Amino acid sequence: MIKSVVSKEYQNLQKELIRLQAQWKGMINPETIKPNLDKAAMAAGVPAAALTAIDFEISLFQQWIEDINTLLINHNPELEAKLSGIEGLLNEETAIRWIEEAFSFNHVYFESFAEEHGLEPWIPQFLAETALRPYLQKTAEMIQPELDRGVPGAGCPVCGEPVRLAALEDEGKKVLHCPRCLAHWRAKRLECSHCGTEDYEKIKFLTIEGDATSQIQVCEDCNGYIKIIDTRQYIEKPSAALLDLNSIHLDFVAQENGYKAVGEKKQPN
Amino acid sequence: MAKKEYVKFVDVTKCDGCRACMVACKNWNDLPAEQTEFLGSSQSHAKTTADTWNVLQFVEHENSKGGLDYLFRHSSCFHCTDAACEKVCPENAISYTEFGTVVIDHDKCVGCGYCVQNCPFEVISLKEYKDKNGKEYRKAHKCTMCTDRLEEGLQPACVTTCHTGAMEFGDKDAMIQKAEKRVQEIKDRYPNAQVYNPQGVGGTHTVYVLAEKPSVYGLPENPKVPTSAVVWKDYAQPVGKLMLGATTMALVGAFVTNKFFSKKTEQENGGESHE
Repeated sequence: MIKSVVSKEYQNLQKELIRLQAQWKGMINPETIKPNLDKAAMAAGVPAAALTAIDFEISLFQQWIEDINTLLINHNPELEAKLSGIEGLLNEETAIRWIEEAFSFNHVYFESFAEEHGLEPWIPQFLAETALRPYLQKTAEMIQPELDRGVPGAGCPVCGEPVRLAALEDEGKKVLHCPRCLAHWRAKRLECSHCGTEDYEKIKFLTIEGDATSQIQVCEDCNGYIKIIDTRQYIEKPSAALLDLNSIHLDFVAQENGYKAVGEKKQPN
Repeated sequence: MAKKEYVKFVDVTKCDGCRACMVACKNWNDLPAEQTEFLGSSQSHAKTTADTWNVLQFVEHENSKGGLDYLFRHSSCFHCTDAACEKVCPENAISYTEFGTVVIDHDKCVGCGYCVQNCPFEVISLKEYKDKNGKEYRKAHKCTMCTDRLEEGLQPACVTTCHTGAMEFGDKDAMIQKAEKRVQEIKDRYPNAQVYNPQGVGGTHTVYVLAEKPSVYGLPENPKVPTSAVVWKDYAQPVGKLMLGATTMALVGAFVTNKFFSKKTEQENGGESHE
C-alpha cells in the first residue's frame, strides 16, 4: 500500500520547510501583528489577514529566503547555480514588494520578475510564498480562537486561499484545513465549501480503490471539489500542508473528471 | 532506523461484541470467509485461523457475586517482544519489524509448523496450498498488526473501525499508562480486572485490560518462551551453523526439534533421519 504518489525525497524537503516555518513563526514578535476582527466583514467572507495590520520585519524575511536557498541547495546541489544571485536582488524595496505580491498571490508579477532577471519561473514565487507563510500562520494562530465556521465560497477565513482540504476528526466531525496558513474551521458534512449547497442529491463522493483514508467531495451544482481525509486512521496527525501535498493524486483525479478547485455556480441560460 | 514502539491497547470492558474488527481485518487483508459450525454462542470461530486473524471471543462467566458476566475479547496475535514463534522458526521466516510487530515472510516459510506449536497464545495457523503440479504445501499465517498500514503512518484496520473505543493504538508507554489507569477505574465493578502484558514473553504489543483473570479468557496466566525454543535459537542453531555448515545443520536440527519440542506430536519410527 502506498499512500502518496509524491516521492519520499520531495516529502522530506517539504517536511524540512514546514519545520523551518514553524521555527520562524516562533521568531515573530506577536506585537507586530494586529488583527482587526471585524465580525461583519468576516461574516461576509473577507479574509481576516486582509484586515490585519502586519508590521513585517524585512531583515527576517530576507534571512528566511537565504535559509530556504541553503536548504534547497542541500537537497539538490544543482540548484546552486540557479539560486545564486537572488539574495543580491532582494534589497529592502524588492522584499516589501515580494511580501505584498505573495500575499495577494500575484503570479503575474513573479513571472515577469523571473523573466526580467533571467530566473527559472518557479523560483521567485516559491521563495516569497514559503517565507511569507510564517506570518500568515502566526496570524491564523492568533485568530484561531475566533474561528468557528467559514463562509462557503469565500475560501480560508484567514488568508483567503481556496478551500480544498478537509479532515474527519473525533466522532466524524468535518474540519476544513488551510494548507497555507494552517487555520482550521468546522463545516457541515453535507455542504459544498464552494457554493454552500446542502442538497444531498448534488453532493457526491469519489473514492479511489485501495485508498482507505480519502475521498473527494464533488458538487454537481458548482463543479467544485474538496479532498476529505479521514485523519482518525492516522497514528500521528500530519500537518495540513503535508496532508495536502500527499493527497495530490486526488486533485488530479478530481480535475481529470471535470471538477474545479474553485467552484462556479452555473448561470441559468 | 529506530522508530517509535507502538502498542495496540484493547480494553475489553468497553467492547460490545459487534465484531466489526473481524470484518475490518478480513476486508483490509483480503481474507476469504470460512464456513463454521454453530458453537452454542455468538462466537463465530473457535479460535483464530489462517484466514481469520482475529476472533471476537464470547465468554459466559459466573462472577464472584454469582451473577452472569458476558465477557467479550478481541483476540489476535499479541506481537510478543520475545516471540516464541520467531525463536523456533528454522528458516528465519519470522522477524520483528521496526514497530515491534512480528511478521512472517511467506517466501521463506516452509510450513514446518513449529511456530504454530510453540505460540503460547495459539494464534498462528497453517494454510494449505496446492501448486500447479497439484503438490500440497503449507504456509503459516497470522495477524500482522497491519504492518503495511503502520508503514504508511496508519493505525491497524481493527482499531480504526472500533466504534466503542475499546481499541486504541499509540505510543507504547502512553498506552500502558492508560491501561493501568483504566484498571483503577473499573476495580469496583470488576475486582479481578488487570492489565495483561505478560512479562514472560518480554511484554506484548497488544496490551489488554481484562475484566477477569486471564484464565477466564483461556489465556495463560504466565506465558513463557519455551526453554527448548531458547536452546534451539540461541545455542544449538548458531553453534551448529558455526561448526557444521548449513546442510549438516538441517540434520541436527531435525534431531534437536524432535527431542525438545514438547508439544510436537509423536514421530513415526525412524523419523529422525530425513534422508
